[in-house]
Amino acid sequence: MLLALAGATLAATAACEIEKVEIPRPERLVALHGVLSASAPSQVVLLERTRNGSVDVRAPSFELESPLGSDSGIAENGAIVTMTTPSGATLVAREDNTIVLGAAGGGVYRFDLPGTALERSGTYRLSVLTRAGEKLAAATTVPGGAAALVAEPRTFDRATDELIVEWPTTPGARSYFVRVETPYGPRAFFTNETRVRLSGDLRNADLDALPHVFIPGFPQTVTVSAVDSNYYDWFRTHNDALSGAGLINRVSGGLGVFGSLVRLRLLDLNVVAPQAEPVAGSFRVIGTPEEVSSTPYLALELYMESAASRRDQSDALSGRATRRKSIFDTGCSFCGVLGSMQDGRVELNFLTGWSARDTMETFTGELRGDTLVGSYRFAGGVARFVKQR
Amino acid sequence: MKLSGSTLLVALLALAPAPARAQEPRPSAVAGRVLVRADTSEPTPASRASVAIVGTSIAATTGADGRFLLAPAPVGARTLRVRLPGYRMADRPIQLRDGDTVRVEVVLERSVQLLSPLRTDAQRTDAELFTSRPSISTTVIDAMALSGVPSIGERDVVRTVQLLPGVTARNDFNTGLTVRGGEADQNLVLLDGFPLYNPFHLGGLFSTFMDATVGSIELLTGAFPARYGGRMSSVLDVRSAEEVRPGVHTTADLSALGATARFAGAIDGGRGTWSIAGRRTYADAVQSIFTDDVFPYRFHDLQGHASYLIGTGTRVSVTAYQGRDVLDANLAEFEADSVLSKSNRGRWAFDWGNQMLGVVIAKDVGGRTTIEQRVSTSGFSTRLDLGSGASMQRSEVRDVRASGVLRVRGDVHDRSIGYELAAQRIRYSSGSPQTETTTFDLTQRPVTGALWIDDLWQLSPRWLVEGGLRAEALSGRQWAALSPRLSLKYFVSPQVALTAGAGRVTQTMHSLAGDGALRYFDVWLASDSFVPVATAWHWVAGAERRVGDVGSVRVEGFLKRYDRVLEADPSEDPQRRGDEFLSAKGSAFGVDMLARWQLKSGATGWITYSYGVSRRERDGRTWAPGSDRRHDLNVVATRPFSKYRVGARFNLATGTPYTPIVGGVTRRVYDPALDRWGTGDPEILIESLGGVHNSERFPVTHRLDLDVSRELVVRGATVAPYVSVVNAYNAKNVFVYLYKYSTDQPTRRAISQFPILPSAGVRVAF
Repeated sequence: MLLALAGATLAATAACEIEKVEIPRPERLVALHGVLSASAPSQVVLLERTRNGSVDVRAPSFELESPLGSDSGIAENGAIVTMTTPSGATLVAREDNTIVLGAAGGGVYRFDLPGTALERSGTYRLSVLTRAGEKLAAATTVPGGAAALVAEPRTFDRATDELIVEWPTTPGARSYFVRVETPYGPRAFFTNETRVRLSGDLRNADLDALPHVFIPGFPQTVTVSAVDSNYYDWFRTHNDALSGAGLINRVSGGLGVFGSLVRLRLLDLNVVAPQAEPVAGSFRVIGTPEEVSSTPYLALELYMESAASRRDQSDALSGRATRRKSIFDTGCSFCGVLGSMQDGRVELNFLTGWSARDTMETFTGELRGDTLVGSYRFAGGVARFVKQR
Repeated sequence: MKLSGSTLLVALLALAPAPARAQEPRPSAVAGRVLVRADTSEPTPASRASVAIVGTSIAATTGADGRFLLAPAPVGARTLRVRLPGYRMADRPIQLRDGDTVRVEVVLERSVQLLSPLRTDAQRTDAELFTSRPSISTTVIDAMALSGVPSIGERDVVRTVQLLPGVTARNDFNTGLTVRGGEADQNLVLLDGFPLYNPFHLGGLFSTFMDATVGSIELLTGAFPARYGGRMSSVLDVRSAEEVRPGVHTTADLSALGATARFAGAIDGGRGTWSIAGRRTYADAVQSIFTDDVFPYRFHDLQGHASYLIGTGTRVSVTAYQGRDVLDANLAEFEADSVLSKSNRGRWAFDWGNQMLGVVIAKDVGGRTTIEQRVSTSGFSTRLDLGSGASMQRSEVRDVRASGVLRVRGDVHDRSIGYELAAQRIRYSSGSPQTETTTFDLTQRPVTGALWIDDLWQLSPRWLVEGGLRAEALSGRQWAALSPRLSLKYFVSPQVALTAGAGRVTQTMHSLAGDGALRYFDVWLASDSFVPVATAWHWVAGAERRVGDVGSVRVEGFLKRYDRVLEADPSEDPQRRGDEFLSAKGSAFGVDMLARWQLKSGATGWITYSYGVSRRERDGRTWAPGSDRRHDLNVVATRPFSKYRVGARFNLATGTPYTPIVGGVTRRVYDPALDRWGTGDPEILIESLGGVHNSERFPVTHRLDLDVSRELVVRGATVAPYVSVVNAYNAKNVFVYLYKYSTDQPTRRAISQFPILPSAGVRVAF
């Protein structure tokens, strides 16, 4: 609670800036991010340099192939990264950008070691030698437990359902990591218990606005993982913004985490809710053959996510859209929708996937009876969606 | 005739003088007259003036002719105190002998400040302290001196205490008291002798003490007497003001911060006094009138005090306090909508506050003996609820205690023996009721006990010695300790004294608030099998010179050695006990200077200068704590000009240490659902990397605050509007530095402390 207040005070006082000066660039340290996962097809370690003001940080769309490059991280290329297994074997990682010439993946070092081969309760030792001669070392002991490799699908009605997730006590686990994926960012927390209750009205305490965790119309994944002490201590701690202290670092010669994780539960939830409101329901595109053939979205599944709390406020909408895909189009077929409605006026943001960060298209229109009529900002043209009975 | 041995013995006995029979003391008395001098040259009799012998419950009220009689009165050197609203209080030293009647005539001078609350009989002036006790490192400030000190919104006791010698404030946003290099949780804060755990509002910007209720404050910054324990740095005792006038007297205060009202009066011919006061902020109510947006913060205070003299020697006093801060916001209703609907936002509720109830029964026996018994309950609680149960944290401390003192006053020795027994319940928990998970849930039930003795010994007319011993014990840790205390005062002359003192202090309650620049409130944990008891030694030596009734100058050097000082561990594991605190050794030394004046013209003020050096050591590493400030100068002055009263305060101080940020590392998060590394979800988080701990210092700070008030009489009521300006010339004092390493040229931004802050208010008394 004190951290939350401190952040709020700093935010409030940040406007009282009296001076801004340029300062010398400090030395860059090597930062290591590695997690051995019992469900991953291979094991990945990221190596980068800490930020010292030599590069502008951007925030583009995340690229799986280049997790460091996506946000202008300073990848540490050309390092020798090895790992000694509990049985004494030494594995050598390959940097992703060396596998295919010119490919992305700088700073991403991959061990050809599937998660199913990880020895439970075994200790893996990592060793890094950078091109500059810096040496890093770390070790992790993999918790026990059987990894969940296949997702359990469920339909979750936010208004009526309650999800109880249980798992067995796992030897070697320092804690259990519960994580729910949401469009606004994950809700994640550690617990020492072996049971968690997820209700439909659960709020995301990890985000300032405290939105709902479960958003109707969205597929949301729930995982529970057994983690080792390195993972637990690194991810539960933070550095205080003013003192720069607090993080627990167990990487010698550098900074970061080398931990391990066994995913015990994996649930794929299809989140739904009642659709009693006029704007909620299944909508299909109608119109002339030309209009239908040119509209980028063919169908909508809409829900009233949150009703307005004050008279000058709009209702929040959520749902999914069926997207028209062309050949070679690698985008989503079913995409998330977030929007709002006030006094019949509707605005819908069509997401690139299921993250609220990335909007691909915006629709602005009106609800006229059981028909949504409006236009797209980028694709242009008029679109009509009629509610299905 | 031959005398037998027995006959001879009888004869000898007959010749021997009769042995003196043990003399019974004849009662003494004090009689006299009180006069007042207003604007006329001739003094006139003062009716209904309060006359009392300080340190006893013997009091009376003058009649229409200004005359009074106090009988029986205790023998010895005493102080006669005379008070009348509208006039400056007067103290007269008197010497009472068996059977004598001392006659005194006192003339009271007109006071400029009509609205100062008056002090209790139990309060002591600086002058009395100078002559009667070693009073090591002790400063008493009365309501007169408190009034006129410039402040933000309204006058605040704790902010005034920050202007006293040996006390430094970390910054403008932090009312935590750093006393002679100590930590902010090392101060025992008392209201009428009862503990308050977190007497702060608005995250530490203001204290819970309402100006209208404060009669005086006494601050002890080192080597305190044996009757005090539980904290290592200081004792701040705030005393309630007591009304001496019959009827119901009202004081109302409207400031930029809130509205305060106090009702008080004396009853039964002055045998009793009562007061009740309340304060509430009103920004939330005002905003709701003009907009639909929500101002989510408010606080209130309620305080009551009553005292009654039963018979001739038994006084019963009751003090109660309750206050609460509420920061409560439904974020969906918080403000007007935007392009994206805000209706999906959640609610957070945050509240914290104190409650206290204390009763004192004090009985005078035979004029020389006082028995006092205290019973109290005090508590502090805080609750943070994010998302209606998605995440919740609670902290509670509840303290029930009983204490007692037997005090015997002699001609040479003033001896006290006392006890204190406290049972506490502490709970600190975090979890999520919605997910039915608990992060941690800690409950402690420590019991502390103490026995102490104290002897104030007038060794000779020039020597005062106060020695004491405090024995303490704590359940839960099987800990016990003896803490000796010794203070000496040598009078070079009646106006000049040299002092020295030493003592061991211990602390069994510790705060998790940490050493940061911001301090909102203390989350308390007790020493137990996991958390050790903190201990320290104080040594103090100084000199003081009184300048008649006008003022004094005092210089004191100090040395503190911490055998163990605890600070919160920023990396502590909530699922594991025993790592909440990091233990260190420490030391602090320095010099404090205080020069104060209170002139007949009504001008008051003081100048303090503090020099201090603090160090901490752990695992071979040494550093300066965040409160380590080398030089701190404060000049406080108030003066009446015609019908106005002007106050000013100037501060000049060197900077405190801070840790430079030397880079950043991106917080990369592993997604166990997809088995991949992610970031920027929902936004890129860059962790600051700290350099060498507290290796740099903020620049020098300086600030001038001004206050102007005026008194008007309107239809029998006294109306006193006031205007304050904090940081009158808008000095750019650095609060913190914020570093940015995410651009292609690293920068450091300085964030300021208070900018120029004008405020206004009005006080009405009738």
